Amino acid sequence: MAELLKLSGINKVYGEKIKTQVLFDIDLAFEAGSFNAVIGESGSGKSTLMNIMGTLDRPTSGEVVINGTKTASMTKDQLAELRNQTIGFIFQFHYLLPEFTVLENVLMPALIRKGRIDDRDKKRALELIDLVGLSRVKSNLATDLSGGQQQRTAIARSLINEPKIILGDEPTGNLDSQTTESIYTLLREINQEIKSTFIIITHDQRIAEKADRILEIKDGRINLDVDKYVAKTGGNA
Amino acid sequence: MSGLSFRIAWRFLKSSRGQTILILLGITIGVSVQIFIGSLIDGLQRSLVDNTIGRSSHITVEPAGSARYFERDDDLIIQLTADEQADKLAVSYSNSGFMVYEDETWPLLFRGFELDQADSIYRFSESLVEGDMPANSSEILLGSALAAETGIEPGDMITAVNPEGKSSELTVSGIFDLQVSSINESWAISDLIAVQELFSADNQLSSIEIQIEDVFSADTIAAGWSGLLSEEQKITNWKDQNASLLSGLSGQSASSYMIQVFVLLAVLLGISSVLAISVVQKSRQLGILKAMGIKDRAASWIFLAQGLILGTVGSIIGTGLGLLLNWSFSVFVKNPDGSSLVPFYFDPVFVFVSMFIAIIAATLAAFIPARKSSKLNPIEVIKNG
Ligand SMILES: Nc1ncnc2c1ncn2[C@@H]1O[C@H](COP(=O)(O)OP(=O)(O)OP(=O)(O)O)[C@@H](O)[C@H]1O
Ligand SMILES: [Mg+2]
Repeated sequence: MAELLKLSGINKVYGEKIKTQVLFDIDLAFEAGSFNAVIGESGSGKSTLMNIMGTLDRPTSGEVVINGTKTASMTKDQLAELRNQTIGFIFQFHYLLPEFTVLENVLMPALIRKGRIDDRDKKRALELIDLVGLSRVKSNLATDLSGGQQQRTAIARSLINEPKIILGDEPTGNLDSQTTESIYTLLREINQEIKSTFIIITHDQRIAEKADRILEIKDGRINLDVDKYVAKTGGNA
Repeated sequence: MSGLSFRIAWRFLKSSRGQTILILLGITIGVSVQIFIGSLIDGLQRSLVDNTIGRSSHITVEPAGSARYFERDDDLIIQLTADEQADKLAVSYSNSGFMVYEDETWPLLFRGFELDQADSIYRFSESLVEGDMPANSSEILLGSALAAETGIEPGDMITAVNPEGKSSELTVSGIFDLQVSSINESWAISDLIAVQELFSADNQLSSIEIQIEDVFSADTIAAGWSGLLSEEQKITNWKDQNASLLSGLSGQSASSYMIQVFVLLAVLLGISSVLAISVVQKSRQLGILKAMGIKDRAASWIFLAQGLILGTVGSIIGTGLGLLLNWSFSVFVKNPDGSSLVPFYFDPVFVFVSMFIAIIAATLAAFIPARKSSKLNPIEVIKNG
């Protein structure tokens, strides 16, 4: 199957004078349509790795190839466009725009993409809002939502441009176990439905076990890589 | 600018309403003060100039050299009258003589005009305190001071005498008050022909007096007309004779510009600093937008658009307020005689230029915050919550 996202020889060193190496020679590839969980202790480098995958941060050395394109040589504007069209982000701390309503937040990546919103975008946004069960509060400002509702808004927003990759950094970090459960069920359904590739950081062992593939990061290295995806789909990697 | 930046800018302004109103208030006050002071000084100068030269000649054709009179030249008068720059024109013959009344003799300056023409410049008919304008060549106007001294009333007869002793009987038709005591004392105003006859000076003129529309161009217009004159004539204009007034006016204009520049500067610093704060306040939002793929240029435009919106709205309201202030000033601040101290004067060029400058300036004030926003790296925001 196609390798949608490929990391090779990724190192990340923080600091100028006092150097702290956070990631060591990471080689990873993710296949289109897979659902991946990233686990590991606090401070092990998960977020750093994810920010590099999402082109928000640059590695100290190594290569990130997204959809066949090397990102190292791309300009800031090209990266912004790539993020907008190829990657959907769900951050740990929700990160909605408080000045905008649920519907407007969900539409924002589409607005950034085209500079305007047409009826088709709006229809799609409403479908996504329905999918995450927020139809009732779609006109609320982002600040007038519960934590779980904000998280679901962020999920709908990450899907509006139909990105090939969805990156989630502890998307259920602050939620109770029942809400966490229902959000993962939702992500899984979307994954099956639109065949987006999910890479999700989680602390929750039970959730991780439901993924196609589990990656454990330890002290900046890949400690464990369990891949059930190939077996389940019967493909030959 | 894309619709994207504009929409986000608009929403940012709407959601931080307190801050927006504060900046708007700043721009509005700044622009209204600017418009008020600018228009006030403009109006003040106009009324000053109008008081000084509104009822006198702006450009005068006079005899050249030591001669006191020149031959009337109808071609010249027709050409000057036809010129678009000339607004009003009056010819005059003036000479010194005497008036005899009840056996007493008084020195007088006899001023002969074609009265209909001259009235449009000097507004004699408005300055009449008693009686009427002369109806024919045997009638004359005297000043109020002389009338008070001699007890002359309209309808009384006087004898006008020239230095050679030639005399004519004239009827006083009215008494004028031209607000200058020496004139009220010594002028006698009559028909041109009557005065020319009294001094046996047929077809002689002492001046051609012209008012123009654009008073500040008097010198250049006069220079342009000098080619029309014969050798026995010369041309003068009011600016030559009022140098100190003019330098006073230009000093006043300079200080008005200074005030306006500093007001504008204060407003700019205000906008700039409030928007700079708002970049910090909105850095979280900018980080999210950048993570979602907004480009740096569009992110900058969010702040430039805020400057543009604030500048436009603020300067429209400010201009309205400034003009309202000017109008109130003209209505409520009066001279003792009931006329406006500074008449309301609307100069569209000044107003629109001021508005335009304020809008551009507000947008430029947003430039530094805009640059700051374009430098912001989304990772800072994403990592630090
Ligand atoms: N700017 C920085 N300068 C120096 N060290 C940094 C910087 N940013 C992160 N680190 C270090 O890098 C390491 C990995 O951080 P990272 O945020 O990737 O961890 P994480 O696995 O996501 O942890 P958590 O589960 O707590 O979110 C940590 O030890 C952290 O202290
Ligand atoms: Mg983390």
